[in-house]
Amino acid sequence: MPQSAQYRINAEQITKQRLGLVEQETDVPTLEQKLGAGQIEEVIKQAEDELSLCNKMQDWKPWEPLQTPSPENQWKWP
Amino acid sequence: MTQTKELELLIAPEGIIPVLTFLKDHTNAQYKSLADLTAVDKPGKPYRFEIVYNLLSLRYNARIRVKTYTDELTPIDSADPVFKAANWYEREIWDMYGVFFADHPDLRRILTDYGFEGHPFRKDFPLTGYVEVRYDDELKRVVCEPVEMAQEFRRFDFQTPWENFPEHRLERQEAEQPQLSTGDNLSKS
Repeated sequence: MPQSAQYRINAEQITKQRLGLVEQETDVPTLEQKLGAGQIEEVIKQAEDELSLCNKMQDWKPWEPLQTPSPENQWKWP
Repeated sequence: MTQTKELELLIAPEGIIPVLTFLKDHTNAQYKSLADLTAVDKPGKPYRFEIVYNLLSLRYNARIRVKTYTDELTPIDSADPVFKAANWYEREIWDMYGVFFADHPDLRRILTDYGFEGHPFRKDFPLTGYVEVRYDDELKRVVCEPVEMAQEFRRFDFQTPWENFPEHRLERQEAEQPQLSTGDNLSKS
C-alpha cells in the first residue's frame, strides 16, 4: 500500500495510537477509559475488522483515480 | 450532504462492495447495521434505477446513505457478503423493480403472488395491474383473468393545483421559452 494513501494514513494513526495506549497501560478498566471506544473486547473486534478491511483494500486500491465517472444528469435533482 | 443535513454518498455501481465494507469495518465509521436498502425508479435518468443503502452506526450514533445507479439489464453486485440483512431487501428489489443482483445466494421473488409477472413498482407498470382474481360461482373456484375495466375508471387526473417541486420551475420555463419565441416570429411574419 503506498505511503500517501489516505486510508493508510488514517488507519495507521488510529492503530498506532491504540497500540501505544495498550502497551502503556496494564489495568483494563483504565485502558478502556483511555481508549474511549467501549469495552476491551469491542476494541479487539474493531482491530480485527480493520485488519480484514486493510487486506481487502490492497485488492481494491482506492488510492487510484476514480474508475467510472458518473453519467451526466444522473444525480441532478433540484 | 443533502438539504436536510444528512450524509449521502453517490457512487458508481462497481464500488458498492468496497464502499460498504469500508463503512462497516473502518474503526472511525463502524456502520455495522444496514437499516434499509431499496430502489427508486426515475425513468428520465441515464440509468433509471437508484439503489439506496441506509446504514446506521451504533457506536457513533450516526446514519449514512449510499446511493448508486443501475438499469434493467445491468447487474449490480449483491451486498449480501457484507450485510446479511441485504438478502431479503435485494429479493424485494428484484421482485418490485427487476434489478438483477449478481452473486446473490437466493434471488427469488418475495412479495408477489404465485405466477405473477412484471415488476409492480416500476413507473411503467399500470396502476390496475394486468390480471384480476375473483371467485367464479359456476366453476366453484377462484379464477384469474386479464383485467377488464370500464372506460370511466381509466381516466386519472394527475394534475395538482399545488406546485410540488418549485425547483423544477426554472427548467420548465427554459423548456417553454423556445416555443414562445417561435410563436412570436410566426405572428410577426
